Amino acid sequence: MFGGLKEKLLAARNRLGTSIQGALAKQESLTTEATDTEPESSSVYRKTPSLKPPTFANKVKVLITERELIVSEKDISEALSELEITLLESDVALPVTDAIITHVKNNLVGKHRKIGESVDALVTEALKSALLDVLGKGFNLNEYIRTHVRPVKILFTGVNGTGKTTTVAKIGAYLKKNGYTVVIGAGDTYRAGAIEQIGVHAERIGIKIIQHQEGADPSAVLFDAVQYAVSHKTDVVLADTAGRFHTKSNLMNQLEKIRRVMKPDLIVYVDEAVAGNDAVIRAAEFDRTVGADAVVLTKADMDSRGGAAISIAHTIGKPLMFLGTGQGYDDIIPFDPALVVEDLLGSDSDA
Amino acid sequence: MQQMDQRELMTLQHYLKEYGQQAEIFVGQLELLENGRMEALAAIEALEDMLTTEDGTVLLQIGGGASVRAKVIEPEKILLSIGAEVVVERSNKEAVEFLKERIIEMEASQKRVAETLDHLRGQMNEINKRLESGYQQSAAAEKDQD
Repeated sequence: MFGGLKEKLLAARNRLGTSIQGALAKQESLTTEATDTEPESSSVYRKTPSLKPPTFANKVKVLITERELIVSEKDISEALSELEITLLESDVALPVTDAIITHVKNNLVGKHRKIGESVDALVTEALKSALLDVLGKGFNLNEYIRTHVRPVKILFTGVNGTGKTTTVAKIGAYLKKNGYTVVIGAGDTYRAGAIEQIGVHAERIGIKIIQHQEGADPSAVLFDAVQYAVSHKTDVVLADTAGRFHTKSNLMNQLEKIRRVMKPDLIVYVDEAVAGNDAVIRAAEFDRTVGADAVVLTKADMDSRGGAAISIAHTIGKPLMFLGTGQGYDDIIPFDPALVVEDLLGSDSDA
Repeated sequence: MQQMDQRELMTLQHYLKEYGQQAEIFVGQLELLENGRMEALAAIEALEDMLTTEDGTVLLQIGGGASVRAKVIEPEKILLSIGAEVVVERSNKEAVEFLKERIIEMEASQKRVAETLDHLRGQMNEINKRLESGYQQSAAAEKDQD
């Protein structure tokens, strides 16, 4: 998953590290010359705020008095430009790329580094912190269900062919494994075979399904699913819906009616990670028109670039909840930003 | 061997249909990737040829199958879409290198999608075999009853 992005980020990290190492080596070489001319002690510089852009004199003094080196913007500007291009080439949205670059720059420029301290660790930490900042906190569905009145009603929306129905089944299997009772509402009454498809899934994973005839009003199906959940004290209602483009006003009105009738606690937007920046733009459109509380990205195992996964939370301001990673019911992983960042940049020991 | 009932046969038919739909989606993705790869190869050829043509004249497609002869003023400066809807100016050589990298990425994606497709087709074959055996059992059972 996101293999291409990982490779490029590690290369960008190394370039940043090399730039800083080179610049700091120059500073270190000044030590000998400077010790001949500068006084040895100066407590003033110990109190210098560590993240202000350093002047040349400041750099030399800090180097002498505290045995520390300071990173300047000039030292890393070229490597940052390369990082920017790397992120854009991986389909990371422009505002997100800007946010990452600004974060890394703010984190590194003016940073004091003890002589002998690893530059790689410094750079890795800055990149990790920047990525965590844009990835947000994720969305813990288990905790949400635990802390809300049941049945928790979850409505799934999105465009056609992104794996919405399969995602509903996968999340059903995930919740069942976590000890919750689940009912699925077969609200995609439009696509031929969709009711059968979700019916087979429900049977395979052992979950109750509420379904009507093909062409029936999806609002009625989902209302019945909610009623079933209330009367049977079921924990969660998963409401499948037909795929639609946000530009189709009749289908969007239908979704609005579904929302009025079943009053979902959560609206989850489903799209495929391989769609890259298109997925981000579509998610923003859906959020504007029908709203979205969280996002699921499918086919993440096929996505080498990782742009959508990195950009979506920061761009639409809604958390990523799950990543679909294969064909099996178990091939869905709760999105944990810390784990993703760790996977992309390796542990500190690798740095 | 235990005889399959009609319900089991129907479930297998559903699985087969669903796998078939998934396979169609992956075939579509493979086509998109192949189109992207061919487009990138054509672009590389055009970029390289632009540097070698004497007067810099190229055929510019304007849609509907119509083309006009056009002169490239700066064949060395290429405006390249690098992703995330961002266009940057690169040298001709850099643009070719970028496109070659993209082709490698697309080929790697094609490989992954093709593997998944093979896996799906394997599962479909298995289901087909079970269905076939179920039909034969049903036919034999009906014959016995007659």
